[in-house]
Amino acid sequence: MEFNRIIRTIILVIFIGVIFYLLIDSRIRAYSLAPTLTQADMSGLVWYEIPVHYMWDYALHGWICLLFAFVLAGLFYEFVPKEFLTKYMSSKKASGYLIGIIMAPFFTVCSCTMVPIFGSIMYAGAGIGPAITFLLMAPAANILSVVVTGEMIGWDIAIIRILVSIVTALVAGIFISRTSWGKSIEKKFSSESSKNIKGKVELVKPQIDERLWSSIKFSGFLAKKILPYFILGLIAVSYVQAYLPEDVVAVYLTGITGILLASVIGGPLYTPTLVEIALGKVLLTLGMSKAALLSWLMGQPYDIPNMVAVSRIVKWKVVINYAIIALFSSIFFGMLYGIFLGII
Amino acid sequence: MKTVKLEVFGPEPPCVRCQAVKKNAEEATKKLKQKGIDVILSKQKINSRQTVSKYGVLVSPALAINDVIRFMGRIPSPDEIEKEILKTI
Repeated sequence: MEFNRIIRTIILVIFIGVIFYLLIDSRIRAYSLAPTLTQADMSGLVWYEIPVHYMWDYALHGWICLLFAFVLAGLFYEFVPKEFLTKYMSSKKASGYLIGIIMAPFFTVCSCTMVPIFGSIMYAGAGIGPAITFLLMAPAANILSVVVTGEMIGWDIAIIRILVSIVTALVAGIFISRTSWGKSIEKKFSSESSKNIKGKVELVKPQIDERLWSSIKFSGFLAKKILPYFILGLIAVSYVQAYLPEDVVAVYLTGITGILLASVIGGPLYTPTLVEIALGKVLLTLGMSKAALLSWLMGQPYDIPNMVAVSRIVKWKVVINYAIIALFSSIFFGMLYGIFLGII
Repeated sequence: MKTVKLEVFGPEPPCVRCQAVKKNAEEATKKLKQKGIDVILSKQKINSRQTVSKYGVLVSPALAINDVIRFMGRIPSPDEIEKEILKTI
């Protein structure tokens, strides 16, 4: 029995090690993990050949990056101490903001897990500020999208994306917690906290091989959930790559117009499936400015399904306010980045 | 006959992983019944006032045995659930 455990642990560690090695190896050999087809390569293809060629290109280059991202997301999700959230998100202190920022990126899951946690934080009495910060931080800077952004587009953009998401999430959280309507919602949630039987949280600590296995199972779960949409999205992206004229991109997706347009369409078009990164990458190669790309990638907090789900817990007023803050912040930081790069 | 309280926590509408936990819990319940242990299984809403005031913020899916959260954010197998329940008796 013990022997089997050791063998299983070794196999799982080797599996994870190989994936890490593949990524490092691609770095050393300067092998591009992003697709390499250009518009010129695709010009001779018939319409139905375009997605096939594009997806083949993605499969050849992107699989290491995607595999690594999913495995890493699974590992983090499994090994991040979840009791931490229970322990520290229950009191009304400034530390709630910090915990929100630190913990949220590791919960690489869709709004179906995030939104209930948001509701729970409200009931726990941590206040509306940390709850909003947590909610905005999770989709904007989760491990999966940061790794894919970093590997496919560039680590400069990925790191800026994290920093800017922290600022946006903090500003939105602090702003809403200071308003009178924000406070009244907070009161509605925290009042009449019934003092019934207190439960305890004493988690079972499973063996290391079981934890590794369950982390890989979670990676599989994420992949099963995200990849079908990602593949569908890639079909659409392949046509953008093949047919969108560079002149159009040059006119509409550069300069200040580019930032404004990228901010406005980035949100509603956002799908929590990494497609926004693939599309962003294509638009970048077609000539979109890096500043507009940042605004584009920051569009997540105001995607529509997420907003609808949150509005069932708190009033629309809160949702609209944080969406507006996120929109302005994506425009603001896009501009700032543009000025920094000297392209505006 | 001994009784044990088993609670599965998940969001409404239920997510895939919470349903998997519930299914495993039901399986464990059936097995324990043959051993003469009565398990009262219930599904609780994870983000309700009642749940949060009792346990705090939970990560779905979560499973509590006799008012103690034992599993959180992962799917325990029926055997694991059975083993943990037997430990509490």
